[in-house]
Amino acid sequence: MPAAAEVLYRQGILPSGAPLRGAREGAEPVEGAAAACVNCHRRSGFGTEEGRIVIPPITGKYLFRAGSMDTANMANPGGEAAGPRRSRYTDQSLARAIREGIDPDGRPLDYLMPRYGLDDAAMAMLVAYLRQLSIHPVRGASGDTLQFATIVTPDADPVKRQGMLDVLEHFFGNKNAFHLGVDPPLQSDRRIHFRVVRRWQLQVWELSGPPENWEAQLDQRFKAEPVFAVISGIGGRTWEPVHRFCQSESIPCLLPNVDLPVVAEQDFYPVYFSRGVLLEADVIARRMQEEAGKSGLRRVIQVYRRDDIGATAAQALAAAIAPLGVKAVARELKSAKPARELADLLRETAAGDALVLWLRPGDLQALPVQPGAATSVFVSGLMGGLENAPLPAGWRTIARMSYPYQLPPQRTVMMNYPLGWFSIQHIPVVDERTQTNTYIACSILAEAAGHMLDNFVPDYLLERVEVELSHRIINGYYPRLGLAPGQRFGSKGAYVVRFADPQGKRMVADGEWIVP
Amino acid sequence: MSAGINARTIVLAVFAAALAASFALRAGAADDATDPHAAHQPSAAATVIRSTANYNVPPIKLVRDDGKSVSLADELNDGRPVVLNFIYTTCSGICPLASHIFSQLQRKLGADRDGVHLVSISIDPEEDTPARLRDYARGYLAGPSWQHYTGTMAASIAAQRVFEVYRGDKMGHTPVTLVRPAPGAAWVRFDGFATADLLLQELHAAGHVTAAASPLSPAGR
Repeated sequence: MPAAAEVLYRQGILPSGAPLRGAREGAEPVEGAAAACVNCHRRSGFGTEEGRIVIPPITGKYLFRAGSMDTANMANPGGEAAGPRRSRYTDQSLARAIREGIDPDGRPLDYLMPRYGLDDAAMAMLVAYLRQLSIHPVRGASGDTLQFATIVTPDADPVKRQGMLDVLEHFFGNKNAFHLGVDPPLQSDRRIHFRVVRRWQLQVWELSGPPENWEAQLDQRFKAEPVFAVISGIGGRTWEPVHRFCQSESIPCLLPNVDLPVVAEQDFYPVYFSRGVLLEADVIARRMQEEAGKSGLRRVIQVYRRDDIGATAAQALAAAIAPLGVKAVARELKSAKPARELADLLRETAAGDALVLWLRPGDLQALPVQPGAATSVFVSGLMGGLENAPLPAGWRTIARMSYPYQLPPQRTVMMNYPLGWFSIQHIPVVDERTQTNTYIACSILAEAAGHMLDNFVPDYLLERVEVELSHRIINGYYPRLGLAPGQRFGSKGAYVVRFADPQGKRMVADGEWIVP
Repeated sequence: MSAGINARTIVLAVFAAALAASFALRAGAADDATDPHAAHQPSAAATVIRSTANYNVPPIKLVRDDGKSVSLADELNDGRPVVLNFIYTTCSGICPLASHIFSQLQRKLGADRDGVHLVSISIDPEEDTPARLRDYARGYLAGPSWQHYTGTMAASIAAQRVFEVYRGDKMGHTPVTLVRPAPGAAWVRFDGFATADLLLQELHAAGHVTAAASPLSPAGR
């Protein structure tokens, strides 16, 4: 149970159980969750920026010291340059600000800030909450070092794992090459550049055994060596235990290489690049829905392996097409060499069927030369290997692929940056997608951490990522990324593509970018 | 893309004490923000800059919250006065207030409600699917004449550019409300949080909406 003060701050519920009410001139009052402090000032209390509006920090550290435009005192988070020009608050002047919207110098606060008619007890509780907000020692952040972990599950692809670790090690190494040693807390802007440079230390948390044991292993690692955040990481069939760990321990877990993430956007701490194969399932479903009338779709046959992520994607697709009223058939591949199984399966197909292949390259290679009688064929790009998918030539004219990235020709320029960096660092490119995403994840972390000044609070890291992510231009494979409160998947859409030629990797879009 | 903003720019300060009856209107440049009353009458009133402009709306395809693909120009030219803003559903600062104001405006319009088209265009269109927009609209008790729009990222940016509100990405947005009191009339642009009363006044002034509820004269116009 969260404390009453936190409920007031985050949910806008008064200790009495009544909704918090905020008033603005010329507008009707806001109530409850809509009136909660957290909306603007955020969980950390460090505020944010929207356009030209700076929402100031309201933690005790900032309220009870004089704001200033002096260059000698610029340590306001968010908008350093826009720090409030005001005297320090006292408990009394803060209560007046909250109730009447007047700052300690008698000037009105911004129109966006409502006035709250709190009684004395609720006011005292709120002020006490602000006084302690975000001042606790942060795990994994010391005067000169930030501790990070990356998480590897035992079922992760070993080649991708190594590619990811190479990128992480080089990125951390580069970061630390500029570290100048222990630095005292910032007192003036003259030390601003030093202060944000902490040494970055990476721990690689390799999990073992079945998924039900992972959370205990993570807890143990975290207790032994606490980290500030989890960066990147790589998974296989399930990422759920890691997601749960991040959320329950309040650790930011940024942008792992997982194609089946956990969809729980009400959770604050885990952040993903996209919904992965679940996004693919929705995009394929959308396309089927659009074509249902003219394609005479009667049956959807999905092929996958039980121990792979395609099994979950197939369930998602079956659920998504339920309203179409077509029959959904699930086919599990069982044998290690599935050529015969696949051939038998294809003999069952008929006109009006859509075949959906949630298969890895090894299984795609085992497909018969010709695709059988199905009217349409969809292949998961994430599982099949995107443009490298080894589809037999006979399939290439009919098969379409869900492709949750920018198309290769359009991303060439975006890719110059990561590929150039790999080259300079002498990092062998063993899996371009994994390594690029890892590099992008590190860049995002570095940017966000760089803007935290010395406010190394986990919640604030995520708040910075939310604010800054959509400013980015270089996103590797992704056309664009963006988050916000309640948004935990950076990229939201996908193309449906087809191979342009019987051989080679050239792909052409079959329609526009789809956001299901 | 569009014609420049007219020279007539008016800074409006709305005071609570004289809420509906009197508007303190000062003609002057936007950057001249000195308020002679500030010292003895502290007020968290909205500072709003009013200007007029002609915006040419090129063909832009948007998706309405009912899932229908529509042309922005057709939606704006359906014969009704239009009040337009830009929002996104996961925005926690500016947009809730902007939507709150629309909700209030809708109520204040009373019997005229369906004669005025309230248009809210998402600046985060990939997140804001029609279903999400419908949920959002429900949260603000949006009636049938208040519609939300999404579309491709390119279409949303094009719409933002038409009305000169594009700020690079969703986090750069500023509060802007646009009113076109009659089809073919110039757009009235409010930079800052224009209150429901201010928007209502603008609609009444043009005479296309019954002025019964309006205590305001079209001073300064």
